Amino acid sequence: MTIASGTVREAAIAAPAPDRTELPGRPRKRRQLTRNRWGYAYVAPFFLVFGAFSLYPFMYTAWVSLHETSLSNINGGTWVGLENYRELLQSEFFWNAARNTLTIGILATVPQLCMALGLAHLLNYKLRGRTFFRTVMLMPYATSIAAATLVFSQLFGRDYGLINTMLEAVGLNRIDWESGTVSSQVAIAVIVTWRWTGYNALIYLAAMQSIPGELYEAAEIDGASKWKQFLNVTIPSLRPTILFTIVVSTIGAVQLFGEPLLFAGNGTTSGGASGQYQTLGLLMYQQGWSNFHIGQAATTAWAMFMIILVIVGVNAVIGRLRARADR
Amino acid sequence: MATVSFQQASRIYPKAERPAVDSLDLQIADGEFLVLVGPSGCGKSTSLRMLAGLEEVDSGAIVIGDRDVTDSPPKDRDIAMVFQNYALYPHMTVEENMGFALKLAGIGKDERATRVREAAKILDLEPYLSRRPKALSGGQRQRVAMGRAIVRNPQVFLMDEPLSNLDAKLRVQTRTQIAALQRRLGTTTVYVTHDQVEAMTMGDRVAVLKDGVLQQCDTPGALYDRPANVFVAGFIGSPAMNLVTGSAIDGGVQVGGAVLPVPREQLTRAAASNGKVTVGFRPEAVRLAGTGEGLPVRVEVVEQLGSDAFLYTSLADAPDDVLHSADLVVRTEPRTPVTTGQQLWLSADRGALHVFDAQTQQRVD
Repeated sequence: MTIASGTVREAAIAAPAPDRTELPGRPRKRRQLTRNRWGYAYVAPFFLVFGAFSLYPFMYTAWVSLHETSLSNINGGTWVGLENYRELLQSEFFWNAARNTLTIGILATVPQLCMALGLAHLLNYKLRGRTFFRTVMLMPYATSIAAATLVFSQLFGRDYGLINTMLEAVGLNRIDWESGTVSSQVAIAVIVTWRWTGYNALIYLAAMQSIPGELYEAAEIDGASKWKQFLNVTIPSLRPTILFTIVVSTIGAVQLFGEPLLFAGNGTTSGGASGQYQTLGLLMYQQGWSNFHIGQAATTAWAMFMIILVIVGVNAVIGRLRARADR
Repeated sequence: MATVSFQQASRIYPKAERPAVDSLDLQIADGEFLVLVGPSGCGKSTSLRMLAGLEEVDSGAIVIGDRDVTDSPPKDRDIAMVFQNYALYPHMTVEENMGFALKLAGIGKDERATRVREAAKILDLEPYLSRRPKALSGGQRQRVAMGRAIVRNPQVFLMDEPLSNLDAKLRVQTRTQIAALQRRLGTTTVYVTHDQVEAMTMGDRVAVLKDGVLQQCDTPGALYDRPANVFVAGFIGSPAMNLVTGSAIDGGVQVGGAVLPVPREQLTRAAASNGKVTVGFRPEAVRLAGTGEGLPVRVEVVEQLGSDAFLYTSLADAPDDVLHSADLVVRTEPRTPVTTGQQLWLSADRGALHVFDAQTQQRVD
């Protein structure tokens, strides 16, 4: 759930399906290239910036990950080949962080998307002040992670936190949110959910509004209750959108960093006293910027990238299989 | 099977100046094919949706059989509807689409499959049962929408311009198929269209609406032969009826320099309001007259259709008191030697004149 992933979401919504007309023969292609030179000129700035600030660091990270090197002397490391990767796979810290990332990801993504779907469904009705509600929904997304997390860490505070006060008021025990594994992960998941539910709801709402009203009328005449209409018309029509939000939320979950970093209120990278909520992002930061093993940190970064690739790949395969089954 | 009746049914949209449907009174017999026709915005679709339960009824009542369904939800009305864009569920196969209502009604899988297959057989859809709507042609989708309706064996079929998304040839074909199917099933059907040819060819009776008000409801023949007012006269028939308005004088109605002969007694009653009379005559009731006799016109366009030809003409000495329409259409024998720009004289068959009060627009016999 990083800020940067937002642009990917919008781009993916706006982009039309690529035109797949193949151009036969080579001379044709060359002519196309010259004829389109202004087009290439216009897109060039993006690719220059992309190359300088994304592609180059990306490849350089891969290079660094093959060296034993420290933060102060990035270029002067010694070549160790895949040693860093072997170490990473044998490191209990890596597996702990991977596990935490997975559980926080599930705890955050699943309720977030379900709630977003429900919210979008409600907002799809003709409500008074609909624009107001839509704006309000987007406000958490517009809030800075740091501000939101610091407020939430107050709410989840052990001694004076609002949530514990309320728990006591209804006769339950206080919870030491920060120190427990499950409780701290739940708390972080709550922050992530709070921040992203409205955003996903808006995406669902946009997709819902493109479902033709006739379908609901037909379903109503067929005898479907509102709930059956939701299950049989809304959900199937939203399937591609749901798949998309799952992919994007999962990518965000793998990269989770700001919330666990600031949850304890002091910005430590250890993710709690026993690393109970240290995510892969935090681990990478700790390796590179607390322990100065920049080679190791680069390895973790690449591991995260691989995980995302696998997830996106699996989703693409599922999507393609579904599309094939649909035909 | 059931009768349907609209009893003073009105629909007033919030903030609208006039009702979308104004005190509609219609009795539809058991097994009848009734067509609602009118220009866009006349309230025909709203009327149908009121019957379906998709639109509120602000006053009056709607009765299906002997049940007042005015406030019942659609599913309790025992109706099936075919939508203009078919409204097929895109993620379901043809079979699932057709069986969805039965599934919701809790009908078992085997019976469902049997009934869907029966309907598919009637509609020639058997090879497509496992396809999704996306993989079907427009005509096939239309048939699936029909199939979804007949599978349920409802008391009333409602059809909202079901042919408007088909190409011209297929539309004519499907038109007869739907009419034949309805006769065969004997299910009461209410059919909405803006196409008067569709209305005339399909309906047992046709109800013509304008501005939310029912103008006339009768058999196609009666609508054509005895339109109740100027609107119906101009709306039914293609090309439209020629309508000219002029002053009543001794012996007939003066249009430009010519006089259209109208019987005295009829003329007196038609001119009662303000002395003006609207006279209508269909293109096929016009004859080419000798030079100097009848209405002088200039030919603007000649349409050769093979079986006959239509001359689109304008009154040559377009007078100021021709209020309604100065354009007259004439049907002639094909290959009549007439050229654009030619001057002709027309006379209308005496018995084929429709006479209307120009003020009230109502027919006078």
